[in-house]
Parts: sequence; structure tokens; C-alpha cells
Amino acid sequence: MAENGATASYAKTIEPLLIKYCYDCHGDGMSKGKVAFDGHASPGDLVGDHKLWSVVLKNVRAGLMPPLEKPRPDASEIAELEKWIKRDAFDLDPKNPPAGRVTMRRLNRREYQNTIHDLMGIEFRTDEEFPPDDTGYGFDNIGDVLSLSPLLLEKYLKAAETIVSNAVPVVQWVVPSQEFSGRDFKRKDDAGNARRLSFYDEAKVERTITIANPGTYRVQIELGVRGAFDFDPGRSRFAFSIDGQEKKSDEFKWDDGRRIAWSTEEKWTPGKRLLAFDLKPLVSRDQKKSSVDMEVVSVRIEGPLEPEFRQRPENYDRFFSGESPSTPEERRTVARKVLLRFATKAFRRPVDPAFLDRLVNFAEGEYNAPERGFEGGLARAMVAVLASPRFLFRMEDTIRTRSSKGDPLVDEYSLASRLSYFLWSTMPDDELIGLADRGQLRKNLSGEVRRMMADERSREMVGNFVGQWLQVRDVEGVPINSRAILARDEGGSSGGRFRPRIELDRATRLAMRRETELAFDYVAKMDRSVVELLDANYTFLNETLATFYGLTNLNVKGDKMRLATLPEGSPRGGILTQGSILVVTSNPDRTSPVKRGLFILENLLGSPPPPPPANVPSLEAAEASVKDHEPTLREALELHQKSPLCHSCHSRMDPLGLAMENFNAMGLWRDQERHQPIESTGQLITGEKFSNISDLKRILATARRQDFYDCLTEKFLTFALGRGLEYYDVETVDQIVHRLEANEGRFSALLMGVIESAPFQRRQTAKLVAGARADRKPEVTSKQSPIHETDTASSR
Amino acid sequence: MKPTPLHPAEIAAARHGSLNRRTFLRGLGACLALPAFESFRPLALQAAAAPASALTPGGAPLRMAFVYVPNGMIQSTWWPGGEGSDFKLAETMRPLEALRGKVQVLGGLDHQNATAGPDGAGDHARASGTFLTGVRVRKTAGSDIKAGPSIDQLTAQRIGHLTRFPSMELTSDKVRKSGNCDSGYSCAYQYNLSWKSEGTPVSPEPNPRLVFERLFGSGGPGERANNLLRRQKQQRSILDFVLTDAKDLQGKMMARDRAKLDEYLSSVREIEKRIELAERFQGKTPDPDMETPAGIPANYAEHIDLMFDMMVLAFRTDSTRISTFLMASEGSNRPFPEMGISEGHHNLTHHQNNKEMIEKVAKIDAWYMERFARFLGKMEATEDVDGQSLLHNSMIVYGSGNSDGNRHTHSNLPLLLAGAGGGRITPGRFAKFGGQPMSNLLLTLADQMGAEGIERLGDSTGRLKGV
Repeated sequence: MAENGATASYAKTIEPLLIKYCYDCHGDGMSKGKVAFDGHASPGDLVGDHKLWSVVLKNVRAGLMPPLEKPRPDASEIAELEKWIKRDAFDLDPKNPPAGRVTMRRLNRREYQNTIHDLMGIEFRTDEEFPPDDTGYGFDNIGDVLSLSPLLLEKYLKAAETIVSNAVPVVQWVVPSQEFSGRDFKRKDDAGNARRLSFYDEAKVERTITIANPGTYRVQIELGVRGAFDFDPGRSRFAFSIDGQEKKSDEFKWDDGRRIAWSTEEKWTPGKRLLAFDLKPLVSRDQKKSSVDMEVVSVRIEGPLEPEFRQRPENYDRFFSGESPSTPEERRTVARKVLLRFATKAFRRPVDPAFLDRLVNFAEGEYNAPERGFEGGLARAMVAVLASPRFLFRMEDTIRTRSSKGDPLVDEYSLASRLSYFLWSTMPDDELIGLADRGQLRKNLSGEVRRMMADERSREMVGNFVGQWLQVRDVEGVPINSRAILARDEGGSSGGRFRPRIELDRATRLAMRRETELAFDYVAKMDRSVVELLDANYTFLNETLATFYGLTNLNVKGDKMRLATLPEGSPRGGILTQGSILVVTSNPDRTSPVKRGLFILENLLGSPPPPPPANVPSLEAAEASVKDHEPTLREALELHQKSPLCHSCHSRMDPLGLAMENFNAMGLWRDQERHQPIESTGQLITGEKFSNISDLKRILATARRQDFYDCLTEKFLTFALGRGLEYYDVETVDQIVHRLEANEGRFSALLMGVIESAPFQRRQTAKLVAGARADRKPEVTSKQSPIHETDTASSR
Repeated sequence: MKPTPLHPAEIAAARHGSLNRRTFLRGLGACLALPAFESFRPLALQAAAAPASALTPGGAPLRMAFVYVPNGMIQSTWWPGGEGSDFKLAETMRPLEALRGKVQVLGGLDHQNATAGPDGAGDHARASGTFLTGVRVRKTAGSDIKAGPSIDQLTAQRIGHLTRFPSMELTSDKVRKSGNCDSGYSCAYQYNLSWKSEGTPVSPEPNPRLVFERLFGSGGPGERANNLLRRQKQQRSILDFVLTDAKDLQGKMMARDRAKLDEYLSSVREIEKRIELAERFQGKTPDPDMETPAGIPANYAEHIDLMFDMMVLAFRTDSTRISTFLMASEGSNRPFPEMGISEGHHNLTHHQNNKEMIEKVAKIDAWYMERFARFLGKMEATEDVDGQSLLHNSMIVYGSGNSDGNRHTHSNLPLLLAGAGGGRITPGRFAKFGGQPMSNLLLTLADQMGAEGIERLGDSTGRLKGV
């Protein structure tokens, strides 16, 4: 609608509403929270203030505005306001919500690692090699924020070299081999292995190997002497034998990290061979000062060395055709074939012919270089592919259509990548690309999504989305001081030597993270209501976590996490009572009801309070004013809230957080803090009263369900799109929420709602969204036609 | 110059005729009291083109570094008594007692752009974002971060071509919270000190192994220079290839995508420049006679020490002259169980004058200072090409962009300047500047380094006189 129409409808229907309900605080000279409806230069400015109207919409819908004690508009008045904001102020057409435009996304660390795994068949640890990705809007896959510094590009170049040299064989044939580590050599009684053998203990470790073919074998052994930092007088004799016959031996003394290589050649017939290491101490234990150990690092058996037993190297067929061209023309043809296959897969879309020509030229220059070899030259071209922006960035294209309605659809290759990076955090597999090749992906969308969700790789979406949305990724790293926490629960602030020690160890933290992930995974896979994320009578436990929570009567045994139905009346079940969330929202030494309340507002209800002002007094300051006893957190918070400056936000956060006070900073249940019983009653800012955590969960799952749908949809959509949501996305979000409502909150409604939404399916090109940044110029479409032009054309 | 006392392990190693990695690292200072290796002699000595001010009177290069400590300092234990050369170190600086004559305590320098101003909460993000840029960083959580070029990068852009690496950015913080950072500010402000330009931070490297391999090449001693050279040559052919490709793509993109590709292109050019630079230094790549560090040590103190060792190594071999080191990101809430402190650093700094909490923060302040003192000790024990100590020929700023962590103030910042700048600056003093922008100090240091044409930085009002 034209702006004039919007200002007219504003004056007619909206302004009277605002005067009636809002002007007391936000008009006629009042501007509480720096919001005023009559401070704009012109009516056009006011109507065009998208930021203001987004806030109004959010606050009115969440019941935060007008405040509880003031007169509030009725349902039809609210509906009128909503409709006006969306239709007039935002100029949105419900049939064609704008797609918006995601900035070309660089693969983040996780996506890069997974893509390399699928493309090259090897593991490359990006968490060790690359700097962490910047996050925006709470996620690390946001196109705008994923920058590319020279340092990172340098790392990409180095990674491309390393990956290709580890994954791509540059010879046609290799000698068969098998390799063992120290762990594979065991003591007879199974009481240890050859990863660590003390110089002070006599030891014999062994391993039986099977030889299939007769011939000459080379046994290569790598040993390491591992001494403690300080000198130790220990010495030993170490020997290697085959079938009881000694082949190598030597004497060793203290050293730090010295490596020793032994090698021997054997003629073997088919059958079993017993390889063994013997350690004899030469210095008695009573002289031991620090320590010194022998480590068997690796034992590699190569053979038969005779040429008739040679094999194709591992991974050879993944990259090469097996042909051995001889003339320059033949070589070029084979190079072209091999590189077309590789680059198409790596770029996740058809390769530009001009690019392919250049790539083949490059390879030719490389394989003609002395000592490089044909495979070696092609491997260099593969390095260039992995360093190309076409690999590192997700390039998208749209389908050109004659119809002018809405933004154009992205092409099927782009859709395949959008799906696979969303659900798997990796490149599309052959089936997705195959469908895109035939222009059949959109037609089979829901079936493909079902297949992808059933696939093991969908764990990536769960881990990456839940890990960031609910911050459970952090549970494994946050510092927690169990002593201080337990002391607080029991009253004293120090001492307590005889208390049973409960530690939040690695295994427990891992189980906590998995608990939250599996709860989400279960809702997703079983297509249950997303409301069960908030309130459920089940959770996921292994023995470690069940014991930690004190749920010992559920009879959960072993390391494997499994679905457990909770006993009647158990406070557990749902996100708010999971250890991961309880821990990441705590301080190292105590709970933080403020952080917990903020967490709920930000991540579950989608209505975070504004950030705190500068120089806020701390809780500890409030505590200091209580002289006669050590105050509970509730008491301290109540003192803190007395300041009007603090009250406006804390009255929203604190009641939520205080309802969770029965769970300490490690996520353990407690009934008291500092000798006083925990009080968990409270009231939400929107008026709902609750007496404990179970009540609160129920309220969130019923009365505030709409807020949760809205918040979850916004987070999931942000993660799926890789961009922050804009004011105009409200229509898309509303439609998905509506779909959730209509389908009893089923996960599939959310998932398909996101995938079928305009921003996921389409992409803004020439048309500017009203009020969007003026720097978005129309896209110039590719001059070169893709190789598979005829195939993709069928989908247009 | 006093030799560092030998560690028992070094004695043990000496007795057994071997010097392993750890003893080498630990004894780095001691070893380097030997005359500097001739092969490490800076090229600048031969290059007449170098601006005169980048060299000391003795002809050695000047080095500049910035070491960042988060969350401010306890004021009462930080500021010395007295003034000028007649001053008494307070508790936090006690580890520096032996090096008292080599450091200058700087009082009365401010970062006004780190205060709340119109932006409200977020003093931690601003403290580190402003520290070396002097600008008011844009309050945004996502797409449009904006700080400014930082002084180290501006200097590196001018004199970085004189060394194999224009600059080196380090950190010993590896924990990064997912989600948003301080009060609506992007994490970029808290996790980066160095900014190449307004929108591009330079991520610091936490892994000492990767730092080492970048400086000297991979592999064992003796084979690194060749590995490095081979890699550079190979990189060059790949770079040529992808550069053409990226240029080709560039014309087909919309504005924001093109901006991403521009990042790619300028990074490619940057690396090409670096390789060209490396080629000019061909045959001059130093190869320290030590094993490559294994990775990030589990122990925090060891991690910090190892990163400092990398800095000493880079300076001593004249691989670079400019470095930044973010010991922990601003707002770091790390507890210090190694000292029996279970509460997080950041939480503690909001002590509201609780005596017990103040004492704990003071202990943390001193703990960081001890790490710094150890580093300065090594710099002092290392002889430079002109016979002076490496520390003498350096200018190392240590401090925080918050003054009082409790109240989030940004005036009278806790700052130290170690080293004598080759004789141009006068350490052994407590200098009070009475409320000038810290940006003035940064400009003065850049001048000393020979970086020409930097007129202003953030809120600077001129140069700082009397350093």
C-alpha cells in the first residue's frame, strides 16, 4: 500500500487506539523507555518507523504492553493493530511474503569439516586448525558475519594442501599394509597395553597377526621413550620378537620424547604370526625418582613387497578413473573427466565451462612439471578447487521466471545446498544433486526432508541448532566449583570436609549435553509437539546422569543414553530442568536467577528485556546490607529490586529464575539454601501465578504457548536462513506459527513451515524490499550457461 | 645482565647431555644471552631504504607490542606511590621489582570513546574494541560491525614490509561462548584487539604450534626453511589461479555478496604480497634450533608463557616487529582454581567494595603481572644485534581498557610501557599525563616505529609528550 494510504489508515484507526491505551506513557510529552508515538517529524516518518512497529507488535502480542495494571485493548482492537502494522506500516502481502536476501555464506568450521569428510573421505579437524567463526544473532552460520581475513584464507590454503595430500593418492599402485598402535599390543592378562610400559615393571605385550599371502614383508616399528620432566635413573632392555625369535633389542635410559625406529624384513608363508615386545628393568624400583616409560607408537607391516600383490591405494577410485593415458591428448581428456567430476561435486552445482577449461590448463601445467606425475598434477588442481571461492562460499542462483509475483525461486542446486547445510551441516549427497539435475527436487520436497531427517547426519542440525539456541554447547566448558556450590546448599560458605564429593565431571557434562540434544531429536524424529520441549514426563539418561540426578530407581544402566519415563510428580522433564541449561545459566559458584530468567525470556519467550544500565550495583552489594544472617538469593534479589531502576526489568526476569532455585548451579535438586527452605512461588509479568517449577512449565506450555512457538520459529528460521530476521519476516513467522497451532505443535509443521517459506525457497534479486538498504543492486545473471543447462531448464 | 638461574631440569639435562623441548623453552632466556645468531641479523641493517626512525641508534630494529588484560585493575594495588623516577611499586606490580628501571607506569590516559555515552551498557565490549583503535565502536550484534583500524595494523601497513611478517596477533583465550556477547555488541569487539580496517578484525591465534609453523615452517629443525619455500611457491600458483576465478565471479554479484568476495580478493592479494616479501627474504628465514611446540598446553599459565615465548622468538629473529597479545578476552569470567579462586574474574571485579572480593581480584591482577614479568625477564636476557637487550629496543604496552572494573570507568587507564624504545623513551618512572587520550600515546609509539602519515587515531588530540 502506498505511504499515503498508510498514513490515512493510521489517522483513522490506529492513532485513536494509541491515544486511548498508550499515550499516558508514550505520547503527549511522555516517552517512557524512549518510546513516543508523537515525536516524529512527519506522519510518514512515524508510519515508516519499522523498528518502532516491530517493538509494538512484539510487546502487545506478548502481553507486556500495556502493562498489567493499565486498561488493555480487547482482542479485536489488538487484531486491528496487528493487521495495520503488517499490511500498512510494513507493506506486506500475506500471499507473497518477501524472501529477503541472505549474504553469500562462507562455510563455517563445522560445515567445512563435514563437507571435506563427504567430499574427500577424510577427517580434518577444523576446530584445531581454524579460528572460531564469529557469531551473529546467536548462531555461527550467519552470512553477514562470516568474514574472511587473510589469516583465515592462509589457513584455507594450507588446509587445501594438507587435505589433498592426505586424501588423494598420487600413485597408481601401492604395497598392501596394515598398521597397529601400542594399544593393540596387550599383556596376556589383559592388564595393560604397549601404549605405556614403565621401565620398572617387567612386561610382555603381544599381538597375533594374520598373513594371507606368501612373500617378503617389512615390519616397521616406532618407539618413544617418555620420561617425566625431571631426570629419572631408570634403564631398561627392550626387545621385539616374532614367533618367539628375537629380532631387535636395545638398552634405553631416561629421555623426554626420543623416538626410535626399528625395521626388519621377513619371508612369510600364509598363517598366524605372534609379534611381541619384552621389557626387562635394569634399575631397581627403589631408585626411582620420577618416572620413565616406553611407548610403542606404531607397528606397520608392509607386504608382500612383490609387485604382483600391489593394490590400488585407498581412496583411489573416489578421485580417479583408473585409466593411464599416454599421449598429451589422452591425458587432457582424462584430466577433464576427472576434474569435471570432482569440481561439480565440490562446488555442489554444475561447473562453469570456462572455469573447467582453466582448471584443465592448470592441471596440465602441473602434471607436465618434472617429478609431479599425472595423478600428482591432478591433485594440484584439486587443491585449487578447494581454495576457490566457489568451494568456500555457497554460491546461489535463481530461476528466471516470467511471472513477476514475489521474489524468484532459487535454483534446485541452491535448494539442495540450503537443505543439506540446514539439516546436515554438510554438502548435498548424490541423491539431492541427482534430483536437482533432473529438476525433481521441489516436486519431492517433503519426501526428501523425511529422508534427510531419518538420516544419521541430521544429528548435526540437532547439535548445531540446539547447541547454540539453548547454549548447551557451553556446558562442557563452563567453570563450575562444586565445593562452593554444595557448601552454599548446606549452609556454610566454607569448610564441610566430610561431605560426599559430587563433581560435575566430563562424563556428566557430556551426558547433560546429550540429554538436551536427544530430547529435541526425539520430538523431531517422532514428530511430537514442540511443547514437549518445555514440559514432558520423560527425559534421556544414562547411568551417570541418572545417578547424578538421583533418579536411581529408574534402573538406567550403562553409558548409552536412553529414553526414560519419569516417576509421577518428578520435577524433571523439559528444557528448564535439564542439567545443561541449569549449568550454563549459573555462575561458577552459585545459581543466577537473573541469568536463568533472562535465558527464558530470550530463548523461550522471545521477549528479552533491554540490557542493563551502566554501574548497576551487584547482588553481593545487596547481600552485604544484611547483617544478621547470610541471605538467600531470593532475599538478595528482593533487596536489589527495591531500586526502581532495577525493578522494571528484574520484575520480569527474577520470578522466572527464582522458580528454578530448587536446582543448584550443577543442576542438582535441593530443598534449602543457607539453612532456609527454597521458595519457588511467583508471578509472571503477564499475571500468571505459579507455586513451583512444574507449575511454571505448565504455564509456559499453555498460556504462553504462542510466545514459545513464535520464539522457536524465529530462532529456527534464523538458523535455517543464515541471516538475522528483519521486520518484514513477521509475515513468514506468523504463517509458520499458525501452521504449528493448526497441527498441535508438531515438529513437522515447524520444519516444513520453514522449508516451504518464501525466504527459504526464494531469494530477492532486483526488487528492493520497502525500506531495505539501498545498496542492494539488481543481480546480473550469469552470462555463461551452466553445463547442465538443458537439465535444469526443465524445472523452470 | 644477570643470567636466569637454571631450573633443576636444565641441570639434569645438561648432565645428561641433552636439551629437550621443555628445557629449551624454559631456558630460552638463558640460552639467548649468547650473542644473537648472525643469520638472524635483521635485513633492515642492510636495507638503506628503511626509515631512520625505525632503527635504534645502534642500528637495531624497534619492536612494539600490546598486551591486554581484561576487566581493569584494582586501583589501590595498581598505582605506585610517588611520581617521576621517585616512585614505589604497589602490590600488583611487585613481580616487576627486578625490572623497575625498565618500565614506565603511565597515569592519566583515557579512552573517552569506551564510556557509555549514547550507547548504554557494554563497557567490556567497548573497552577492548576501543583499546588500540581509539574509536567508538558501533553497537551491533551482527551484520555491520564497525571499529577502526588499530594502531598496530596502521603501523604494520607502513613498516610491515621490512620484516617477513607485518605483524603477529596472539591470544591465550580459547573459550568462546556461543550466542551473543556483551549487551548487544558483537563478539568481534571482545575477541579481537587488532583491526585491519573499520569492519575487519584480525583474529588472534591461540595455538602456539600454528604460530611457530607460520613463522618458521613445519617439520623439524633444519628442514623448515625449505618446507616454507616450497609451500610458498606452490601457494603462489594456486593463488594466481583463484585470483582469476574470483575476479571473474565478481562482476556477476550483488552488492553484499560482492563485499564478501572483495574480502576474499583482498586476502588473496595480501597473501601474495606476503609471499613476495618472503621471496625477498629468501635464504634468510631463521630456523630456531628447537622442536615445534606441540599445541595448546592444558595449563593456562603455561599457555600464556608459551605465547610470550613465541613473541620473544619472533622479535629476536626479526620475523616481525609488531605484535598484540590478548591474554583473555574482555569480560573474561575465568576462575583461578590454581590460586584457590573459584569465582569468575569478571563476577569478582563487580566487588562493590567487598574486601574479600577485592583481594581476590588483586591476586588475579598480580597473577597476570607475573606472567608479564617473566616475559620481560626473557626480553631483558636476550641480546639484540646492537648488543643491547631486546627489551631495551622495544616498546611494550601492558594494560586494560577498563580502569576500575567495578564501576566500568575508562579514564586513568591502568597502563605500563616497558622497554626503552632503543633509548628514545625513558623508563624507570611513574609519568602522569593528567587526562589525555590514550590515542595520543598510540600515535607517539607509531611515530617511533617510523610509521609515517598517521595524522589521527580515534579521539586523539595530538602526540603524547614526555614519554
